[in-house]
Amino acid sequence: MITWIIIALVIVIGTTFFLYYNRFVRLSHQIDNSLAQIDVQLKKRSDLIPNLLSAVKGYMKHERAAIKEVTDARKALVGATGVEAKMKAGNQLQSALKSIFAIAEGYPDLKANTNFLQLQQELSAIEDKVAYARQYYNDGIMSYNVMTTVVPGMWFAKMYGFNKREYLKIAEAERAVPKVEF
Amino acid sequence: MEQARLSFHEEIRKNKISSFFLIGIVLVVLLALFYTIGFAMGGDYFFIIIILGTIIAIVYVTAGYYKSADLAIASVNAKKATGPEYRQYNNIVEGLCLASGLPKPKLYVMHDQQINAFASGRDPQHAVICVTDGAIAKLPKHELEGVLAHELSHIANYDIRFMTLTAVLVGMVAIISQIFLRTLFWSSVTGGRRSNSGGDGKGQMIMMVIGIALAILAPIVVALVQLAISRKREYAADSSAVKFMRTPTGLIGALRKIQDNTPMKVSGAVAPLFLAKPTKEKEWFQTHPPLAKRIARLERM
Repeated sequence: MITWIIIALVIVIGTTFFLYYNRFVRLSHQIDNSLAQIDVQLKKRSDLIPNLLSAVKGYMKHERAAIKEVTDARKALVGATGVEAKMKAGNQLQSALKSIFAIAEGYPDLKANTNFLQLQQELSAIEDKVAYARQYYNDGIMSYNVMTTVVPGMWFAKMYGFNKREYLKIAEAERAVPKVEF
Repeated sequence: MEQARLSFHEEIRKNKISSFFLIGIVLVVLLALFYTIGFAMGGDYFFIIIILGTIIAIVYVTAGYYKSADLAIASVNAKKATGPEYRQYNNIVEGLCLASGLPKPKLYVMHDQQINAFASGRDPQHAVICVTDGAIAKLPKHELEGVLAHELSHIANYDIRFMTLTAVLVGMVAIISQIFLRTLFWSSVTGGRRSNSGGDGKGQMIMMVIGIALAILAPIVVALVQLAISRKREYAADSSAVKFMRTPTGLIGALRKIQDNTPMKVSGAVAPLFLAKPTKEKEWFQTHPPLAKRIARLERM
């Protein structure tokens, strides 16, 4: 009888160890994956810029400063390493784009250009997607951090070497900025 | 958050269990129906009908499980949402999928000027979302986003599996029972006198009565079961939509506009799938909570 109880206990404890390990691994994967998603969207954004600029250049001959700002921001984004740096460069590019779109309001011909409109719509969608991917990333970090700080998750986290992870804090305001309507 | 995730899992588990039992119940009801039909027809047909009926019931339930989304899409005559006019629709769903960690469902559009939408499929990997032309034309971006977030919540919660199964399987039970009722009516008119003679006729009469009772009761019972559950699902999907979007304003705006909807031409069987009830229903048979109540709940978030 006692041997059976011991066997049962060993099984229960063993499964708990496995379950907790798997939960940590699964959450880590979720977090890494959402980071990759942010990366994908930022890459898409920088890939669209040349198209946008060539669509815009013919109309905005006198807006060199604004166009240069976008080109520079794109260069910074392409050259950036690490998520934080990339996010920062991505935000800079986004605000540079905003001024381009604001200037475009004064060019009726440009605003009627379907190519330009499509690019504008696409870039605005990417902005949303970046925000959503970051939100999912932070949700994942939150579940993960809760698990590493509550009992008994804390013990397992220490044992397996899963440490607390950082939120993506920068540019929380980005989502609150009014979107370019079209 | 962890708490929310837990209740999320709880919803999913409940839906999977309900779906399993629904399939079981429908299978039993179908078999009982065929058995009754076999008895009512009597004699030589009995075994043929039983065997055929069993095969039909199993094929039917299996097809219902794997093909329910296609059936729902086909029943509203929806087409795939590709092309530049649906670019925004696609973009919004892609964004919300990033926010929820779901794979992107297949997107459809159905032709109707009212604002409405539904989701279907057996799991998130095989899910579809369908919206009306009216929703795309009349809703501004953040309101359409609210509607789509609501539909994605149904997908994430596995509501789609249970609700589509109910729509397809129960809808069909209703049709079969109706056919049974009609043939019985005709045979009792034409052959009523003959069955009065002898004990065999008496047995047939009893089976007929049971058959009629079954035919009337079966769909009502299953429909009531479904009604009891789906109102809660709408509230749950509303609140997870807010979780995905971090603001209830989009969905509130959309629901306000839906209050002005006029009835749509859709089959009663798929009606419970929709974001807001597409047809006029009696209070008693409502599959959706009143829009005013849903709006009030969202406003408190």
